[in-house]
Amino acid sequence: MDDVIERALITAKKLGATYADVRIIDRTKENLSLTNREVKVATTRHSRGFGVRVIVDGAWGFFSSVNTAGEEGERVAKIAVEIAKASSKTKIEDAKLKDIEIYQDKVPQPVKIDPFSIPMNKKIAFMLDLDKLMEKEGIIVRNSSMYFSKEWKTFASLEGAYIEMERIVSGAGIQVIATDGREIQVRSYPSSFGGDFARKGYEFIEEMKLSENAERIRDEALQLLKAKLCPTGKMDLVIGPYQMALQLHESVGHPTELDRVLGEEASFAGTSFLTPEKLNNFQFGSKYVNIVADATDPYALGGFPYDDEGVKAKKIYLVKEGIFVGYLNSRETSYKLGLESMGAMRADSFSRIPIIRMTSINLEPGNYTLEELVSGVDNGLLIDVNKSWSIDQKRLNFQFGTEIGYEIKNGKIQDMVKNPTYSGITYEFWRSLDGVGNESYYHTLGLPNCGKGEPMQVMEVSHGSSYARFRNVNVGVKHE
Amino acid sequence: MNKEDLLEVVNKAVSLSKADQVEALLVGGESYLTGFANNYIHRNVGEETYELSVRVVIGKKVASASTTDLSYESIKSCVETAETLCKFQKDNEEFVSLPKDNGEEKYFEEVYELPDAETRAEIVKKVVDASKKHDLISSGKFEVEKSQIAIKNSFGIEKYGERTVATLKNIAMGDTSSGFSQESAMSFKDINVDKIIEESLDTALKGRSPISIDPGKYEVILSPYAVEEFLSSMKYLSLTEKNIEEGTSFMKGHFGEKMFNDMITIYDDGNDANTIKMAFDFEGMKKKRVYFVKNGVIENVVNDSFYAYKLGKEPTGHSLPQPNDLGAYPMNFIFEKGTSKLDDMISNVEKGLFVQRFWYTNPMDPVNLVITGMTRDGLFLIENGKITKGVKHMRFTESIITALKNCLEISDNSKIIYEGGTVTTAPYMRIKDFNFSSATEF
Repeated sequence: MDDVIERALITAKKLGATYADVRIIDRTKENLSLTNREVKVATTRHSRGFGVRVIVDGAWGFFSSVNTAGEEGERVAKIAVEIAKASSKTKIEDAKLKDIEIYQDKVPQPVKIDPFSIPMNKKIAFMLDLDKLMEKEGIIVRNSSMYFSKEWKTFASLEGAYIEMERIVSGAGIQVIATDGREIQVRSYPSSFGGDFARKGYEFIEEMKLSENAERIRDEALQLLKAKLCPTGKMDLVIGPYQMALQLHESVGHPTELDRVLGEEASFAGTSFLTPEKLNNFQFGSKYVNIVADATDPYALGGFPYDDEGVKAKKIYLVKEGIFVGYLNSRETSYKLGLESMGAMRADSFSRIPIIRMTSINLEPGNYTLEELVSGVDNGLLIDVNKSWSIDQKRLNFQFGTEIGYEIKNGKIQDMVKNPTYSGITYEFWRSLDGVGNESYYHTLGLPNCGKGEPMQVMEVSHGSSYARFRNVNVGVKHE
Repeated sequence: MNKEDLLEVVNKAVSLSKADQVEALLVGGESYLTGFANNYIHRNVGEETYELSVRVVIGKKVASASTTDLSYESIKSCVETAETLCKFQKDNEEFVSLPKDNGEEKYFEEVYELPDAETRAEIVKKVVDASKKHDLISSGKFEVEKSQIAIKNSFGIEKYGERTVATLKNIAMGDTSSGFSQESAMSFKDINVDKIIEESLDTALKGRSPISIDPGKYEVILSPYAVEEFLSSMKYLSLTEKNIEEGTSFMKGHFGEKMFNDMITIYDDGNDANTIKMAFDFEGMKKKRVYFVKNGVIENVVNDSFYAYKLGKEPTGHSLPQPNDLGAYPMNFIFEKGTSKLDDMISNVEKGLFVQRFWYTNPMDPVNLVITGMTRDGLFLIENGKITKGVKHMRFTESIITALKNCLEISDNSKIIYEGGTVTTAPYMRIKDFNFSSATEF
């Protein structure tokens, strides 16, 4: 056992902790960003530190440090205990944790190509090639970016858990901004927010087909400048997997976080309409809606071997055949509601306390081809790739915009439309789903930037979906 | 760590580099957050973290590396990593130079005692006990931090800054309504806990049993919290030299043009008396006052050394830690207060809405600054000059430009709002024809 871990755990116990855990994280990140042929960001960031979490007198305390020398374990644990004792001044009941199976394990993450083995000049040369492909009159900004990270995390607890885990992430994306002097239009590939990310090596960058799509998004951005405005009114929507990722994130992932449901996030991101009495009896969506939280996918960005409480990764249903059946939970919140711990506690660094975070929240594929989904629409839109997003603090009233859309008339895809937006109330919207595309369109999109918590934590999550068809949705928001 | 420790680290990093130009930036400090929910402390955390970033330049190549390990070996390795990355780089033809010392103030220190865990818990207890008395549930945070920054570069810049900030926030929630209050100050002793309790609890109690109203255009009074959230997208979409170059700024092509009423003056100034001060930016450049809008006229934008030198200008002192995708950012944003009393502003509204807070605002149309978001923690109907009832929350979809053009009155007081290291100072605003696009259930 690492000396600093041992000292921290012994000190915490000696000072009265009934529970304590320690995480040491050693992480290296590489960020590259190139705009209009110029490298804007070329940086590596190494961090190493540890955090100690304790329960003393029935209340929580946490402290962290960048110094991982042995004796620092005692100092950090002592401060964590002092903080916990202060917390107990306001406690209403003791913090209790659901019993779990305790593991000792070591989990490396094999990848085909270590992304840090590829020299930076090769990565930059590739980005310059992409930049050239996106060049055209009317395109004012061409951006390409890459991100890689590698970390070793050690988790240990007073209960005897000792787990070492490796995590390697690769991601990339391209984006253009076009203008005609009056407006701007944006197109991204594979998606906005930096592209796509997965727990894979450099092979993931090669699989993404960035070169094959650079000219397409360039031309689509220019076409959008001339496209007609998104119509307004109620109509049917066929939504692509990249926008469905955001829809799942905001209207399923966040409202099923049990800490939020129980009011623990109320001061920042709000609460949730999915209150405990609705579990197993609330009609969340139509019978076609099957949504899982899956941390077991070996490549998904929201996946992991164990969460930051030592709970082994699981796959559970959040919504089954339209009925709301599950929460994302922690050991403490699952104890409060008498549920099974499903392992969704994660911290974004050694200096942050774990909170409930989405794993991979996925809409299971259906049986339709895209053609079949479109052919069932008389008057509607096909839309994809998120551009704007907003939802109220109970996760009910949402309004989203996408980068691109196409009119659907009499079962056929027609003209491109710009600035598509749609809005609704979460459960009414999901109840209007009447068809999901089959596995051949299914994609799991990695999102590296989910913000939650105070202090703010930015988490890696992911969402799998195929195309999905929704009926009679409010489209095109007017503001003038 | 003290000032000498931090300066020793950045000096060591610069001295170890063989690059043509080098910059070492060390940022860190202590921070503690006592979070509460359901009327008890549920998250009580602290950290002591420092991170060294080294930016090196070889010819026209620029790269950086960073580390949280401040041992000699690690500093040396960090410098070598940055230099290795740099050698494998392509030339950045637009890059001119790291910033030159402008001879401004070398040290900035304004620090006050940080409260210990016990004191933080006592203050939180006072807030939650007040909520319990009124059958309300409190959620919020009491956050205190001592942040430190040391910068050294090969052009003679050597700067050190240190400041403390404390923030207390409370959301008081009832069955059908909630209320919000937040205050920040450099010393935690300057936070008026009673005022926080009064504002958040009053708002929650007055908003009980809200009515539904139809979406549409309403005259509104926005509180400073709502103004801060409403204008937040403007900061990264419009107010930097990068925004002008990339065409996302509504200001492009309009400098010198009178776009708004005389009463609209917006600027950034890290040394203003009415902000939480920061004397220089993350490149060590003095933070200058930059007017974005002065008496309704479009004036200027902020920059970092990269854009300043590229365009033949002087740095305005608004760089974030480099490199990053934003470059510069207005971190001490000040919307100048006006002359109206809040009570008079309310009495001037025949029928309208008072908005305590907006939430989750995001742009739909960046150039025209069309923003959408929800009201939160206090929405009220104003009838015949009086606040009469709580209203169920609404979604707005409105252009910041249009709203500034439609501004009717600005209050004679403003509030300092500190969040995530950036500061906004905002007044109350009365705005006509503010567009609410949909309603929700609570």
